[in-house]
Amino acid sequence: MFAARANSARQLLGAALMSCSVGLTAPARSAETPPLTHGLTPLPNPSAAPALALPDLDGKIHDLTALKGKPVVVNFWATWCPPCRREMPSLERLRQTLGSRGLEVLAVDVGEDADTVFAFTGQLEPAPNYPLLLDRDSAAMQRWKVKGLPTTFVVDAQGIIVFRAVGGREFDHAAIVEQLTRLLPPQ
Amino acid sequence: MQDHGVTLSLTQIAPEPARAFYLNRGFSIADAGIYADACVYMTVLRNDSAPGEVNFRVADWRVESMGQIQPPRLLEDWMALWGQRGVSEPSRIAFRWAQFPPEQEYSPGEWNQGMLAIGLSADTRFTLIARWQVAGKDYEGRLENVRCAR
Repeated sequence: MFAARANSARQLLGAALMSCSVGLTAPARSAETPPLTHGLTPLPNPSAAPALALPDLDGKIHDLTALKGKPVVVNFWATWCPPCRREMPSLERLRQTLGSRGLEVLAVDVGEDADTVFAFTGQLEPAPNYPLLLDRDSAAMQRWKVKGLPTTFVVDAQGIIVFRAVGGREFDHAAIVEQLTRLLPPQ
Repeated sequence: MQDHGVTLSLTQIAPEPARAFYLNRGFSIADAGIYADACVYMTVLRNDSAPGEVNFRVADWRVESMGQIQPPRLLEDWMALWGQRGVSEPSRIAFRWAQFPPEQEYSPGEWNQGMLAIGLSADTRFTLIARWQVAGKDYEGRLENVRCAR
């Protein structure tokens, strides 16, 4: 067991970091920023995905059951969540890589309105080209037993949750692409 | 702190940015101030290479300061307070999900980043004792002599 000391300089750096993070400016990066993870956690006991039917920014309802037959990445996030903001461009790059082979992506924002989400995602490069759904009362998050943001699930073509990712990911990393490719039909 | 394959870090969020964050999410000046002045830290816990799934409950953690030992301010207590003070549901939802999870399980590579209020006043020094389990075995890590700056 050992102890670490948090010094004043680190605390000042932290204050500056959070000034950026809470102010919804550009994503903050520093030596303090935890690395994004390069893998998904296989679930030892896969189970059926809970219901998910939510409106997008235009009010159109997207129902997960309508995507049965395709693997779906379901990402729970919020604009003020630093690791959510960092991982989001990689989610779009993943869609660009595997979308043509049938992979679908749904991003579920918790507790925010369409204007807030739209303003944020407009700053992203690449901008998300997958549905951004609004879980205004966090009922979907609770149904999916999310405990912290970001949390991502991968639902296979049969509607079973087979992977989980708690914390930020680099979704277009080769290791994750390889895990997801195994869920897709052979080329 | 890196120990037993787990990394824990605290990075203080100064009162002003903490206050601004909650004012922007519908809290009153008074309510945002109660939280912002409770010594708030951006907290990251990560399972880098523990020999299995890490399980923890923040209620099991302890803050030692000036001879007193107490848990950090718990999410359920904050939520009860906001209910009593009439904080709106959207604001309470934003608060809930901005906090470090009160309990969680991390497989290797999994982690969270969220706010944790220690519940001490400014200029106080403290030791945070974090506790977790892996495969039923108890582990403990300490962050010592942390200062809550103004």
